[in-house]
Amino acid sequence: MDNTLDTAPCGFLSFADDGKILMINATLLDLLGYELGEIQGRAIDIILPLASRIFYQTHFFPLLKLHGKVDEVYLSLRAKNGTEVPVLANAARRERDGMVINDCILMQVRQRSQYEDEILRAKKMAEEATRAKDEFLAVVSHELRTPLTAILGWARLMKTGKLDKSAAVHALHTIERNAASQNQLIEDLLDFSRIISGKIRLDVGRVDLDSLVEAALDVVRPAAEAKGIRLQAILDPRAGPVSGDPERLQQVLWNLLSNAIKFTPKDGRVQVRLERVNSSVEITVSDTGQGISAEFLPYVFERFRQADNTTTRQHAGLGLGLAITKHIVELHGGTVRAVSPGEGQGASFILRLPVMIVHHAENSLAGAEQESAAHGARSTELARLDGVRVLVVDDEKDTRDLLVAILTQSGAVVNAVASVGDALERLQSRRYDLLISDIEMPGEDGYSLILKVRGFKEEQDRRIPAIALTAHARASDRLRALSAGYQLPMAKPVEPSELVMAIANLTNRGQGSSLPVIAALD
Amino acid sequence: MRNSTPERDNFGPRLRKGINGLNQDILLRNNVKVFGKGTQPMLFAHGFGCDQNMWRFITPAFEDDYRIVWFDYVGSGKSDLQAYSAERYGNLDGYAQDVLDVCAALELTDVIYVGHSVSSVTGMLASIREPERFAHLILIGPSPYYLNDPPAYIGGFERADLVGLLDMMDKNYIGWANFLAPVVMKNPDRLELTRELEESFCSTDPKIARRFAEATFFSDNRSDLMKVKTPSLIMQCSEDAIAPLEVGEYLKRHLPQSELRVMKAMGHCPHMSHPEETIEIIKEYLRPTRVTAERVQHSHG
Repeated sequence: MDNTLDTAPCGFLSFADDGKILMINATLLDLLGYELGEIQGRAIDIILPLASRIFYQTHFFPLLKLHGKVDEVYLSLRAKNGTEVPVLANAARRERDGMVINDCILMQVRQRSQYEDEILRAKKMAEEATRAKDEFLAVVSHELRTPLTAILGWARLMKTGKLDKSAAVHALHTIERNAASQNQLIEDLLDFSRIISGKIRLDVGRVDLDSLVEAALDVVRPAAEAKGIRLQAILDPRAGPVSGDPERLQQVLWNLLSNAIKFTPKDGRVQVRLERVNSSVEITVSDTGQGISAEFLPYVFERFRQADNTTTRQHAGLGLGLAITKHIVELHGGTVRAVSPGEGQGASFILRLPVMIVHHAENSLAGAEQESAAHGARSTELARLDGVRVLVVDDEKDTRDLLVAILTQSGAVVNAVASVGDALERLQSRRYDLLISDIEMPGEDGYSLILKVRGFKEEQDRRIPAIALTAHARASDRLRALSAGYQLPMAKPVEPSELVMAIANLTNRGQGSSLPVIAALD
Repeated sequence: MRNSTPERDNFGPRLRKGINGLNQDILLRNNVKVFGKGTQPMLFAHGFGCDQNMWRFITPAFEDDYRIVWFDYVGSGKSDLQAYSAERYGNLDGYAQDVLDVCAALELTDVIYVGHSVSSVTGMLASIREPERFAHLILIGPSPYYLNDPPAYIGGFERADLVGLLDMMDKNYIGWANFLAPVVMKNPDRLELTRELEESFCSTDPKIARRFAEATFFSDNRSDLMKVKTPSLIMQCSEDAIAPLEVGEYLKRHLPQSELRVMKAMGHCPHMSHPEETIEIIKEYLRPTRVTAERVQHSHG
């Protein structure tokens, strides 16, 4: 054999149409661990594992025979010691002495083969992810549309003016309930996207879980009462504080409680137990509901998972709540797990958080925040804003009208304008106690407005308290609003009682001191 | 999704054209070629991984005496990929139906069916369903079941080997898995692209190929053998990695009216690697057949 061929840095093999090996170079012999005598004259099958034999017979050889050549075919060879050697093969047919010979170059592709495995895996994962996203989008649009149907339907009925008073009240309740549920969906989606992008942040402080649990119970009580579900709380006041973000922990409790209520039939029972277990605080939310099957139990915290995923399922929702819950709890260094004796036998969710080591000189900021949250949840009556002069700036007429209605109801004197230009004109022509401005507006936006206001000559004009309204609830949006000069960023849609309370506090009409967020600014 | 295989009812809108239109559509769908000077049809069915071109080395020897019919299964060669249905072609019955569709479209009877590899099984299935159409089954490298089923049956493969094959197919089809196939399907006028693909062994969409591989290698048709009423010739290669000698012998034992010929040829594609021997054996087997066929025609006339 030509010496060059023997030392070439690739395998070379010649074989006849019946597969008999005619020539093989030293490089390939080395690669496969054979001596020339062991292999020459044998059928090519000797160096092919079974899978490659099928591929050779069904693909490689027919192509070579029909087209005279084969390019870049991936094959696996079998070495003498049984190991497989991935190669890339190029082959061509030629005639010599009236006999057809197939020449074949073989390049080892061990590493490349691993890359390709990775690529194939990534491709399959990407396809899987795309499908999951498509399914998720379908669920999201369905879930968003469901409350909309009720909102639009009842709103149109009301517009006809033919509803009697009790029907109109019912309509309003339905609209409100559905809008609230849609709002919750959007909150969940935002939370979820923060979790995915790793942007979720905790504002950590001391949290006393007993009052947090009570506040959460207050929130879900109407839903429980509507279904005749008994809410029980067994709270150990000595459970001890934990370190955490009160708003987020509130959200966790609310998720677990509302889930329990959702999956518990009429006249059932939902119980919350708070207790100290060693160096942890444990909150157990148990219900007498439909329970969780052993098969589904391992997946309850997975996103987009609902035990019943059919279109006729009884319980709506995105299946995000528990995924978000688990993530938040883990950010707090805690754990959450689900136990259920089986379907129809109720379920318990056990939340465990490390107890906080108490320093007495601790900043009570978080406590105050939590108190305010709890307070907000309890108050059903709007605070009074009698005589407070408020300027509302929003380019959307519906939002303007809504804000005017809420504030006027609370006794405030309200003017509303649609642009930054109009707002500046108003602010300079008369005195206001507070400014509420939308952030996203065509032309000049809310940031530009507050920068100009904070640049006014008169100190009194300059120091007007201001609330920013934004459709984006991201932490970066809040931060930008604060640094531009607003005292308080609020996410749309605003809760009327929260807005009124915030205005009362900012204008010193509230019972307490100013809001904690303002303290944080100073 | 972009790369999903379009599925549809094969004939739905076309049925309206009437039977002749339907026949015409099947001939297009299965890329059917008919030639030769004889009257008795010889229907050639290709195996997995290839298309009707695999027959070009042996059919010239039969053109003078027979009416030669070539076709591609839907999903292979230049068949109409739009007619592919993952459900229909999820098992070999769907492929057998292609054989019967082609027979019906050409109104074939007294057929000498020549099937390679998996097409041996599709031919048997077709002959069980419509025995009146078939005179003989010539089975090249046949196997009723590719997996080992110890202790009674040696098919040659373990499931893991076939997983390895699917993996190898994945790697070799990766290039145009998502890109070229839809381009070609949507741009029949871009000949240069089509031609390039013709020269690729990937005769078809990778998902179709994978499903064909699964239908081929995971089908167990051993219990169908005894139902075959058509006389058959088993052409067994001497060293065939895909259909070992034991399989040929098993077939001989279980297939009624069968003859087993062990060839000198090695490998799995004797009609490509050893066309002369293949032709010779087929001709020898058919010699009395033609007399019979003539006699039948006389008695009818």
